[in-house]
Amino acid sequence: MAPKKVEPKKPEPKKPEPKKEEAPAPAPVPETPKEPELDLKSVPLEFTADQIEEFRDAFTLFDETPTGEMKIRYAQCGDVMRALGHNPTNADVLTVLGKPKTEDMNTKYLDFETFLPMLQHISRTKDQGTFEDFVEGLRVFDKEGNGTVMGAELRHVLATLGEKMTEDEVDRLMAGQEDANGCINYTSFIKHILSG
Amino acid sequence: MGCGATKTSKFNRRFDKDGHAIPAAITIKAAVLIQRWYRQYAARMEMRRRYTWNIFQSMEYADLQDQIKLYNFLGYLMDNFTRSSSERKLISHIFRENEVCRDAEWERYFSFTNIDVPDIYAGPRLTFPLDMDQVADLVEAFKNKQQLHSRYVLQLLLETWRLLRVLPNINRVSTCHSKEITICGDLHGQLEDLLLIFYKNGMPSLEKPYVFNGDFVDRGKDSMEILLILFAFLLVYPGDVYLNRGNHEDHIINLRYGFTKEVLSKYKLHGRRILKLLQKIFSWLPLVTVIDQRVLIVHGGVSDTTDLALIARVDRHRYVSSLRPPKKKTPSRINVYANSERLPETVLCKNTMGSLTFPKPFGARDSFQRRSLQDFSSTMARTLEGEFEVRRRQAEFSLSSFSKSHSILSTALSPDSEPDSSQLTDNSNDEWKQILDLLWSDPMSQDGCIPNEVRGGGCYWGPDVTEDFLNRHNLQLIIRSHECKQDGYEFCHNRKVLTIFSASNYYEAGSNRGAFVRLGPDLVPYFVQYQVTHMTRGLSFPQSVKRTEHTAFKALRELLFVHKSDLLSAFQEIDKENTGLICLNDWASAIERVLHLDLPWQVLHPQLLSSTKEGKLDYQGWFRDLALKKPRSQHIEQTMLETLYRHRSTLETIFRIVDTDNSGLITFEDFRQTLKLLSAYLKMEISDEVINGLVISTDTNNDGSIDIDEFMEAFRLVDKSRLERGQSLLKLKQDTDKCLTSQTVDNPASQTEDLL
Repeated sequence: MAPKKVEPKKPEPKKPEPKKEEAPAPAPVPETPKEPELDLKSVPLEFTADQIEEFRDAFTLFDETPTGEMKIRYAQCGDVMRALGHNPTNADVLTVLGKPKTEDMNTKYLDFETFLPMLQHISRTKDQGTFEDFVEGLRVFDKEGNGTVMGAELRHVLATLGEKMTEDEVDRLMAGQEDANGCINYTSFIKHILSG
Repeated sequence: MGCGATKTSKFNRRFDKDGHAIPAAITIKAAVLIQRWYRQYAARMEMRRRYTWNIFQSMEYADLQDQIKLYNFLGYLMDNFTRSSSERKLISHIFRENEVCRDAEWERYFSFTNIDVPDIYAGPRLTFPLDMDQVADLVEAFKNKQQLHSRYVLQLLLETWRLLRVLPNINRVSTCHSKEITICGDLHGQLEDLLLIFYKNGMPSLEKPYVFNGDFVDRGKDSMEILLILFAFLLVYPGDVYLNRGNHEDHIINLRYGFTKEVLSKYKLHGRRILKLLQKIFSWLPLVTVIDQRVLIVHGGVSDTTDLALIARVDRHRYVSSLRPPKKKTPSRINVYANSERLPETVLCKNTMGSLTFPKPFGARDSFQRRSLQDFSSTMARTLEGEFEVRRRQAEFSLSSFSKSHSILSTALSPDSEPDSSQLTDNSNDEWKQILDLLWSDPMSQDGCIPNEVRGGGCYWGPDVTEDFLNRHNLQLIIRSHECKQDGYEFCHNRKVLTIFSASNYYEAGSNRGAFVRLGPDLVPYFVQYQVTHMTRGLSFPQSVKRTEHTAFKALRELLFVHKSDLLSAFQEIDKENTGLICLNDWASAIERVLHLDLPWQVLHPQLLSSTKEGKLDYQGWFRDLALKKPRSQHIEQTMLETLYRHRSTLETIFRIVDTDNSGLITFEDFRQTLKLLSAYLKMEISDEVINGLVISTDTNNDGSIDIDEFMEAFRLVDKSRLERGQSLLKLKQDTDKCLTSQTVDNPASQTEDLL
């Protein structure tokens, strides 16, 4: 849903990327001419052989085809990348997949060779978000400035803003984190997420 | 997809501690960051869940290889030793009906009437015929961990046996009017799951028919209770409860997978009789169930030769065990042999024994080298036939009229033979295969039908075979069990085959859900999934993933250890300069070459290797970490110990077979002989000194007998470094626990293991 505010030129193939830290302005992302067209074929692979083998193993784990064809659905692409330690947003994943239609996500497949350049591209994204960013992000919700956030508020935010999470996802995330007052100590919360 | 604040209204406005409004974009940025991190965390969890599942499935595959080794070893004994030798006598008794009795005599043997029930017994006291109230009480009693007295056990089993004898091979059920039929898969002694099913679905009744699709026993600890409940319901609602035989309803399989042990420990006085009666009951269980002439329910599956008309005709009770072929009723021909004594030994067996160190890879299915159940039973049949020939000739020798003796002898010599002996020669072999196929087969995704060499019996059947089978028999769906599924059920073959598995947490707490399926007159399946949670209660999802993972890796480490010699050779082949180091990629491919488990070793390596130097692993050091527990066993040569450990389940099963009075003890002499036989078979030298060493390393009773359980305990494996870590952790925990009240734990032993 694009906000109606200041919307600079909107190049056709791309949706405005929702998560661009550089823009403190209320409107998300003025379009930066960073990547006019994403050409995966031109992405050079810089992974080592060992790494590629590891990626192949992880890829196989997510292969659900009955005859083990080494293919995953589009919808799984993000999961595999994240399982391998990267941190793309859903939008990043869709970009790298070539902006497929929603119905394609579960019907189209990609194989390992196609996946690799996508992974390479994602791994190059500079702003992966550091631990400090994460803390800062949570501090935003720390009204008292005492190192805790209200569980209910966090739930609400995560389910309504940004790349919305489902109720199930939120429950999973917050399981066992809230204390008797419904507060979350966010340093331990972060450790919980990062140690997973 | 949400990409920004939809409303920058007061509703979403946030304020910091000084009351200043926070720009919405910052809030969004924060939200997105958290969401990203969460999604990464969830993906990693998912990956771990998946590879943990793969590990368990591979373990099961490796375990099935063990089963084949058992058959091979038994076959070796039968092939290579004379009938009268002590070696064969060690085990041949399980292949023979020792007592020559008729059913009436069996009933006397199983009599319960002189078993007294003491007044202090607080469990259910059954009166027959059973009614629903008694069965409900029985279920309640088992829920409260009570045990049914052996008198009532025998009585219940006898009634069950009587009923089963009049049931046909094929149960026929109909969903008349609006009855929904509930179908449950493998339960494997997990009483909690059965109770959960009853809780969710209601107990069997006239309005609620059930089909239980085999594998009620083994592995879990309450197999007896499950059987008693199922049989009780069968007796009360014979028209609404249907039982199919599974491959674990087999007394020889039970020796290996724990049911025999369970019965003997729960019923010390009468266990043996109970087991004998169960042996008969199992052989009398129906083979398949058909619903509305449209849906087939069978435990394993089908093959390209499965013929229900044939199945309907077999004498199913003659097929007592997968490892014991049916006796021949009438000897086919009189053959005159020059030297009768030599006959059994000269019986040819064409079976080649599979390699023990390198089990056949899962992928290559073209040549079927390993001894299959069928091959094995054919061997058995031939050698048994030989025995009959000899006996007959010897008897014939002492009788004048040949033809008269012939007919008299055939009745006298074949126990359990019915007056109307049908002719059978190759027929029994065919029927044998038919039954094995029903109970042991697994579906595969490729077309065709090939022998199931992983299990050693039955076959792998493809979608084309399903299609053909359904058409030939005018059916529309096959419901089977036999394989654990992560979600409790799974369709395959174009939704024409449904696997239903009802034992949740089968590999470990949290490993999988169980499920049951309901079919109404429309024959559209409706599934209910569940998972027994008391084991994981109080654990969050990631904690239970971690715990399941921990168990999986423990088992994997064990497996790696027992293949140490082979792995070492594989590493050394790669490490030609003898640096002692090997890179990760090579490590992974070497392991896969040796173990053939098809696991993602690269992904797993952080859990299996403590450290690598610049991406290289010191493999000798790695093996040192995976050491056997007992320091006293160090003087025994490593490969010997390793090999014995690899065959420990075969060893244990043989011990239990040898233990003819089922006391849990075997004599030192039998122990010695068994070990010597096993090592001869494995082409390993085992000296008396080593055997003595093994005996001493267990706490024996010093009366010349060895406790099987204690001996097997000696083979438990612990990773040495983890043991040391665990010990210090344990000490820490004990120190802190001293201040806290401790909660009761079901199994303190397993709690300690977690720390390791």
